[in-house]
Amino acid sequence: MITVDQPAVQDVYSVVEEVWNTFLGDGVPILPGARDLPDDAWYSAITVTGEWEALILIAMPLALAGRITTTMLGLPEDDECSTEDLTDALGELVNIVGGNIKSLMPGPSTLSLPLVAQGAVTTTSDLVEVCEVGVVWHDEPVLITISVPKLAGGAS
Amino acid sequence: MHALIIDDSRTMRSILKRIVHELGFETTEAANGQEALDVLEAGLQADLCLIDWNMPLMDGYTFVTRVRADQRWRNLTLMMVTTESEHSQIVRALAAGAHEYVIKPFTAEAIVEKLELLGLHAKEVPA
Repeated sequence: MITVDQPAVQDVYSVVEEVWNTFLGDGVPILPGARDLPDDAWYSAITVTGEWEALILIAMPLALAGRITTTMLGLPEDDECSTEDLTDALGELVNIVGGNIKSLMPGPSTLSLPLVAQGAVTTTSDLVEVCEVGVVWHDEPVLITISVPKLAGGAS
Repeated sequence: MHALIIDDSRTMRSILKRIVHELGFETTEAANGQEALDVLEAGLQADLCLIDWNMPLMDGYTFVTRVRADQRWRNLTLMMVTTESEHSQIVRALAAGAHEYVIKPFTAEAIVEKLELLGLHAKEVPA
């Protein structure tokens, strides 16, 4: 029997592309591509527990986080958004991306409420990264990573 | 017509509010199921509730069961708008009394289509 415990990179990319096109569609396509994130990048995280267990992280520079927030809230592009707005928008973004990735995997499983923070995130040592998708939007990087418990990921 | 938008994310409430405003709905917002129940208890005459699933204090599923258990709100249309896309969750929500189920991410057209099916469409969405 084959156990699938990690989503395919292309499937994750498709989810991200659909979410971006639906909620952030401004005519600028997202493009595949990995780039370094600045130290002050914003991270949003959500965990999946149940039949499939994972930590899903989305990271991006502050400028892009601000653009995403103003777009989702329907604010003028040059509006400065509050930290509260930014936290809420990035939390909803990871909730939607995470929920759709969860739907690709065996269930039933449950999503946590999202967590959003600025600065590098260190995952616990019992998690192993199994999927990384880098995209570029408005010439800024976005990194989506999925980590699973070591045993489920097959790593030592 | 009046829509009660129930989601812990202000961002998502804002997105839904823009869509249903275009359709001619007035809106009230609630950040969780309990807050929504409080608003209904206070006398809000809503025609439609758009309900997230995962929320603190009271989730969307519990809200649906509580509303359906109360005859005062028997005419209230309940639409789940959620990332919970597992078949079992959809079946559970519909069995509890939700009328429709929309999975995030959604387009404005998808919401309009569902509202049309429910007979709650007021105006067309501008292109």
